[in-house]
Amino acid sequence: MSDPILSLDRVVKRYAGHTAVRELSFDVPRGGIFGLLGPNGAGKTTTIRMIMHITVPDAGRITLFGEPASRALAPRVGYLPEERGLYPKMGVLEQLVFLGETRGLAAREARRRAAGWLERVGLADWTGRKVQDLSKGMQQKVQFVGALLHDPELVVLDEPFSGLDPVNSQVMKDVVVDLAREGRTVVFSTHIMEQAERMCDRVVIIARGEKVVDGRLADVKREGGGRHVALVFRQGRERAAAVLADRTLVARADDYGASAEVELAPAGDPDRLLRALVEAGVGLARFEVVEPSLQSIFIARVGAGAAVAPASEDGRSAAHAREAAHA
Amino acid sequence: MRELRKIGAVLRREFLSRVRTRAFVIGTVLGPLLMAGLMMFPAFLEKRHTRPAHVVVVDAASGTLGARVVERLAGEMRDTVTRTRPRYRVERVATAPAHVDAARDSLVALTRDTLADAARVDGILVLTDSGVASGRLQYYGTNVGSLREMERLQRTLTPLLFGERLARAGVPPAVVLGAFGRIDLAPVKVSNGAITGESGEASFVLAYAMSFILYLALLIYGMQVTMSTIEEKTNRIVEVLVASLSPFELMMGKVLGVAGVALAQLAIWGGTAMALTTWREAIAARLGVSAASLAALPIPTVSPALLGVFLLYFTLGFLFYAALYAAVGAMCNSTAEAQQSQMPITVCIMAGLFLMFQLIGDPSGGLARTLTFVPPFAPFVVPVRYSVSPLPAGTLLLSTATMVVGILVAVWLAARIYRVGILSYGKKPTLAELARWVRTA
Repeated sequence: MSDPILSLDRVVKRYAGHTAVRELSFDVPRGGIFGLLGPNGAGKTTTIRMIMHITVPDAGRITLFGEPASRALAPRVGYLPEERGLYPKMGVLEQLVFLGETRGLAAREARRRAAGWLERVGLADWTGRKVQDLSKGMQQKVQFVGALLHDPELVVLDEPFSGLDPVNSQVMKDVVVDLAREGRTVVFSTHIMEQAERMCDRVVIIARGEKVVDGRLADVKREGGGRHVALVFRQGRERAAAVLADRTLVARADDYGASAEVELAPAGDPDRLLRALVEAGVGLARFEVVEPSLQSIFIARVGAGAAVAPASEDGRSAAHAREAAHA
Repeated sequence: MRELRKIGAVLRREFLSRVRTRAFVIGTVLGPLLMAGLMMFPAFLEKRHTRPAHVVVVDAASGTLGARVVERLAGEMRDTVTRTRPRYRVERVATAPAHVDAARDSLVALTRDTLADAARVDGILVLTDSGVASGRLQYYGTNVGSLREMERLQRTLTPLLFGERLARAGVPPAVVLGAFGRIDLAPVKVSNGAITGESGEASFVLAYAMSFILYLALLIYGMQVTMSTIEEKTNRIVEVLVASLSPFELMMGKVLGVAGVALAQLAIWGGTAMALTTWREAIAARLGVSAASLAALPIPTVSPALLGVFLLYFTLGFLFYAALYAAVGAMCNSTAEAQQSQMPITVCIMAGLFLMFQLIGDPSGGLARTLTFVPPFAPFVVPVRYSVSPLPAGTLLLSTATMVVGILVAVWLAARIYRVGILSYGKKPTLAELARWVRTA
């Protein structure tokens, strides 16, 4: 990772009540899809806002394209915030041209590109319609296009799939994958691990403003390799509970009802687990030693407690204000 | 350069999205229609009431007074220019003083609505010697409720009665007639050592109109700047915008865009008013009313310099207040909240308008001279002062400079509040918090 496109170096963001981001460092290499993961309230949006220079860190440095982050770099970055919206009474194409212009494109060029993009996401028939006539999924596509119109090298997406139905989610996923294939770097945040697991080359997991996992997805998963067992129950499911509760054998179990993912205790091994389950009279449809899912890594590292946002909703909005005060 | 292009994009969006709304189109079209209506309405009214009022003079006075009153009333015309339509149809009934009441009562019976127009009586004027002496004449009429009619009648009769009294006291009628000759003061404006041809009245009307236009534009469009800011917050589009635009660019574009809309509307209205007054005869002919009966909208002769000063201060004042309105929008989350928070600005604007009334009386006094350099009030004060007598170039330049500095400070202040306010979706800030925003932004 000799030449990261984005680099955070011990970045700190403090609000009156708490520290939203503490000593956060990570590098995003050029190309590929990078996942910024964490539970709600972990500091993902705060981090992304600092990357976009909407707010500035209290300490630490953020480097984009080898330069200190600033608004002057905005034309090279595509940004889709979590709190996203459009002018409801504006025409779709017009709106995109405006967004393109704010990113430094000439109106004519913005119009040409917007038309092409609308074609690509299946909204070609909607160019003249007002935004308020579009469905929510269509509006999200328009926002997405708006973030990509100026052909950015780096695309930063905050919770890009939230609120999309499976069909539109699929369309957006394809676009993100295409972007990476075209050589652009995509950074996106999410708290949905399955999504990140399928798409990301690299992940950073943060909790309570601190980094807990950082690395290539394959490495992260390999670290826990051999210690995880996937189970699918055929019968006697209730008899498995006592076995899974045995802390000498099982460190942690994600119980999904009909199936479970188990992390073995340091003293436990797969053979002992299988024997214990069979002796207890549990019928198994599947017993497989696997790499851990990102979800289970996430739960293991972050803990169930972190899934609760540390600050109340009021605290958050006050925090937004204070955050912006430093911009 | 790129900044200018971005400001331009915001400006254009703001301008177009407003100009294309139904409200703007209706407002812009309705304005001139209203103006035309105001001009034409009196003409139509007059057209409907063309029957002269039938007045009977019950003459019990000695001498020729009754005959002269009849003559005088018969000479009154409804339109003062073409003098074609008499206001009254007058008859004289001579009676002995003892029979005045009987004559009056029989005439009052003739005021019944059921009578034909020709026979119906509208009013009865009773002339008696005692009435002339005491100054209390009796008029019985169906139209006594109209103050205007009564005042007109009184005005018509007063010189005759004065004359009669003087004649009875022995003053020769010729002297009386001469003494009643009208005296007019014709004010002509002199400026810079030359006669301008503008009348004093026109200048007053102009200054009044200008201040009022500014006042209205600020109240109407100022609120729009506030609303537009709040709207961007509720739409959540603001975060996309601030990632690529600085708050200053965003706000400057917004303020300039709305100013453009105000100026465009003003231009349309001004143009229509000018066209209406220029071609009023042709328009009147089309509508079948006499041009002379049109309400005379004063067409002040505006010197290009005065027009320039007005437009300059309209723009400066608009930008100054619009920046403040944007700041209000930035710190509020709802229209209701904004309505409260903009009170201080509204008070400032109203103070400006009321000051203008004061200053029309004393346009070069100490207060006027001071306020010329106070940004919130200068836009109201300077055009008034200038319309009365042109300010020296130095004063004008200095005033404009303070105005520009005022705008920059307002924009700077607003941009700072904006910067914090746009990402704050929480409760409205207190004054102390606001001060901190400005300090830390």
